[in-house]
Amino acid sequence: MSSPPPLLLEGRNLRKTYRLGRGNIVKALRGVEVEIAAGEMVAIMGPSGSGKSTLMHILGLLHGPDQDGGPPPELRVAGQDVTRLSDGARTRMRARQMGFVFQSFNLIPTLSALENVALAPDYAGASSVAAQAAGLDALELVGLADRARHRPAELSGGEQQRVAIARSLVNRPALVLADEPTGNLDTDRSTEILGLLRRFNREQGQTFVLVTHDPEVAAACDRIVRMRDGLISPALEPPALEPAAAAPRSAARESPSVPRSAEPARTPAPLRSD
Amino acid sequence: MHLLRNLTRRKVRTTLTILGITIGIWALVVFGSMANKINSLVEGGSSYFGDKIIVTDASDGVFGNAPMSLSVARGIDQVQGVAVAVPQIQLLLSTEGRGLSFDIPDQLQGQLAGADQGRETFVLRYTRGRGLAPEDEGRNVVVLGADLARDAGASVGGTFQVRDRPFEIVGILEPTLTAPDTTAYVPLRAAQEIFAESLPPIFRADLDTTDLASQVVVYPEQGADIAAVAARIETQVPNAATLTGAEFDTLVGSTTAIFNAIIVGVALISLVVGGLSVINTMAMAVAERTREIGIKRAIGGPRRRIIRELVTEAGLIGLIGGLLGLILGAVVIVLANEAGRESGTVLFELTPETAFFAVVFSTGLGMLAGLAPAWNAARLDPVTALRYE
Ligand SMILES: Nc1ncnc2c1ncn2[C@@H]1O[C@H](COP(=O)(O)OP(=O)(O)O)[C@@H](O)[C@H]1O
Ligand SMILES: [Mg+2]
Repeated sequence: MSSPPPLLLEGRNLRKTYRLGRGNIVKALRGVEVEIAAGEMVAIMGPSGSGKSTLMHILGLLHGPDQDGGPPPELRVAGQDVTRLSDGARTRMRARQMGFVFQSFNLIPTLSALENVALAPDYAGASSVAAQAAGLDALELVGLADRARHRPAELSGGEQQRVAIARSLVNRPALVLADEPTGNLDTDRSTEILGLLRRFNREQGQTFVLVTHDPEVAAACDRIVRMRDGLISPALEPPALEPAAAAPRSAARESPSVPRSAEPARTPAPLRSD
Repeated sequence: MHLLRNLTRRKVRTTLTILGITIGIWALVVFGSMANKINSLVEGGSSYFGDKIIVTDASDGVFGNAPMSLSVARGIDQVQGVAVAVPQIQLLLSTEGRGLSFDIPDQLQGQLAGADQGRETFVLRYTRGRGLAPEDEGRNVVVLGADLARDAGASVGGTFQVRDRPFEIVGILEPTLTAPDTTAYVPLRAAQEIFAESLPPIFRADLDTTDLASQVVVYPEQGADIAAVAARIETQVPNAATLTGAEFDTLVGSTTAIFNAIIVGVALISLVVGGLSVINTMAMAVAERTREIGIKRAIGGPRRRIIRELVTEAGLIGLIGGLLGLILGAVVIVLANEAGRESGTVLFELTPETAFFAVVFSTGLGMLAGLAPAWNAARLDPVTALRYE
C-alpha cells in the first residue's frame, strides 16, 4: 500500500448545543472528532437523537460548530479551514463541491422533479440548458426520467427520496452527504441506489458519508462510524463487525470490475419507477 | 418566465395575496379620488375669486344692490392694468326674508355669455345640459347650481321660477362647494328686467333697463399688481368700491383650512389602509416560504440571488394587485359618480396622477414588504430555515 489518501474532511472539537425555550438546552454534539479520507465511503450509525443529522449539517457547512469558549472547533474540507469562511464562500462550496440528501428530502413543492434537480447545477453556475440536461441525466440514473415533470406531491416517498438523491449527485460533487438516503426505499430499490453510490464512489472517486440504520447499507461501506449521545465511538472497520461484508469491500478495492458493483456502471439497470 | 411559473404554481396563495393587495389599492384609489375631489373643490373655492376684482357702487346702502350704468364698466376698461371689465347683475334669488341662516343666500346672476373673453379661469362643469350662450340673450333660460337644482328637484327641460317668472332649465352644474352651487345663471337681459322691477318706482321712471348692472367683474392684465389696479379703479372711477380675491380669501380662509385637514386625513387613511394591506399580505406570503429559502440556500443558492428573485416576484404580485385594485376602484368611482350625478353629489375624482401613484406604490411597497422577510429568511442559517413550519 502506498501513502494514505489525503483527508477530505477533518473535524475536531465539533460541538452543537441547541437552546430551547425556558433554559432547556440540548447538547446535540459534545466534541466530535472525525476524519474522512478522499474517496472513502463511510456509514454513520447510531440511535435516534445521537446527533447524526447535526454532524452531517456541520460537515455540509449548513451550520457552524459552536464557538463557545471550549476547545476551538476545527473543520477542514480538503485541507482548507472552513470555520472562518464567509457565508458566500461556504455557499459556493456547497454549490460546487457538495451534494446533500436530507433526511426529510427537502424538495421544493412548487417545482417539478426535474426543476428541483436542475436547481443544483443552476446554482453551481451552469447555463439553464445545461442544468436541464444534467438534471434529466441524474433523474435517469435514479430511474425517474419518466417522472421528470411530476411535482413532489405527485410522487411516492421513495420517489421523492430518489429525486433528492439525484439532486445530490447531479453536479458530481467531491463530497456527498446523505442522511438516511435509503430510509424510504424497499430492499431492492435500496440495493440499487447503494450500488449506484458505490459505483460513483469507485469510478469518480467521490466521497460518500451516509447516515443509515440499515446494517446491510453500512456493511457495503468502507467504514462505519458509530455515534452515541453526541460523541463518536472509536471507528470500527466493517470486517471486524460483519465478516460477511468484507468480501465485496476488499474485492472492490482490488478489482473494480467485480460484477455486483461494476455491472450497473455501464448499463444502468432498468430501474422500476416504483 | 420562471417568475410567472412560480406565481401560477402556488395558485391559491398567489390569488389570496393579489386579492389582499387589490383590496388595499382599491381603498387607496377610492379614498385618494375622494381626497382629489375635496381638494379640487377647495381649490375651486379660492380660485373662484382668483385674480378678479369685483367693483360695486359705493353709494350703495339703502337698496342693497345699487344700480350701475354699463358705461361705468366702459370707464373701468380704460384703467391701466385692466384687461376686461364685465358688467353683471347679482341679486338675491328670492325677495323673501330668509330668517337667521348661516348658508350663503341663493343668488341670481346675469351676464353676457362670453363677455369675459375667455379670461375666467374657474371652470364650471355641467352634470346635465349645457352652459349659457350668447344666443340665449333675450330668452328666459337658466343654468342652476348643484344645490339649487337638488333642492328644487329640477331637471333639464323643466321650469324654474325666478321671482314668479318661469325660466327653462338648460343646464345643471356640478358641485363646486362655493358660490356657484347656490347661484342661478340667466342671460343679462333677463336679469336686467328682474333687477329693474325690484327697484323702487322712483328709480324706474327714467331708467334704461338695457343699461343696467349691479356690479362689474374686472379681469386684470396678466402679471398686473391686483391691489394697485383695485386702488386705481377706486380713484379713477367715481363711486367705485372694490373687493379683491385676496380680501375674499381672508374672509373664507378658515373654511379652506378645515377642508385641507380633511383632505390630508382622507389621503393618509387611504395610504395607511392600502399600505398595511400590501405589507401584511406580502410579508406573510414570503415568510411562508422560509423553508423553501432554506432548501435553496442549503443546496448552494446564493443569498442575494434568492432575495432578488423573491423581491421581483413580490414586485410582480404588487403590480398585478395594484392594477386590479386600480381597475376595481375606477369601476366603483364611475358607478358612484354616475349614481351621485342625479343628486348633484359627484364625490370622486380619479386623476392620472392618483392612478399612476397607486400602481407604483403597490409595486414598490410590495417589493419592500417582500424584501424584509426574504432578507430575514435568507440570513438564517439553512438548517434553521429548514425547520421553519
Ligand atoms: N434545530 C434544532 N433545535 C433544537 N434541537 C435540535 C435541533 N436539531 C436537533 N436537535 C436535537 O438535537 C439532538 C440530536 O438531533 P439529530 O442530530 O437530529 O439526531 P439524529 O439525526 O441522530 O437523530 C436531538 O435531541 C434533537 O432533538
Ligand atoms: Mg437524523
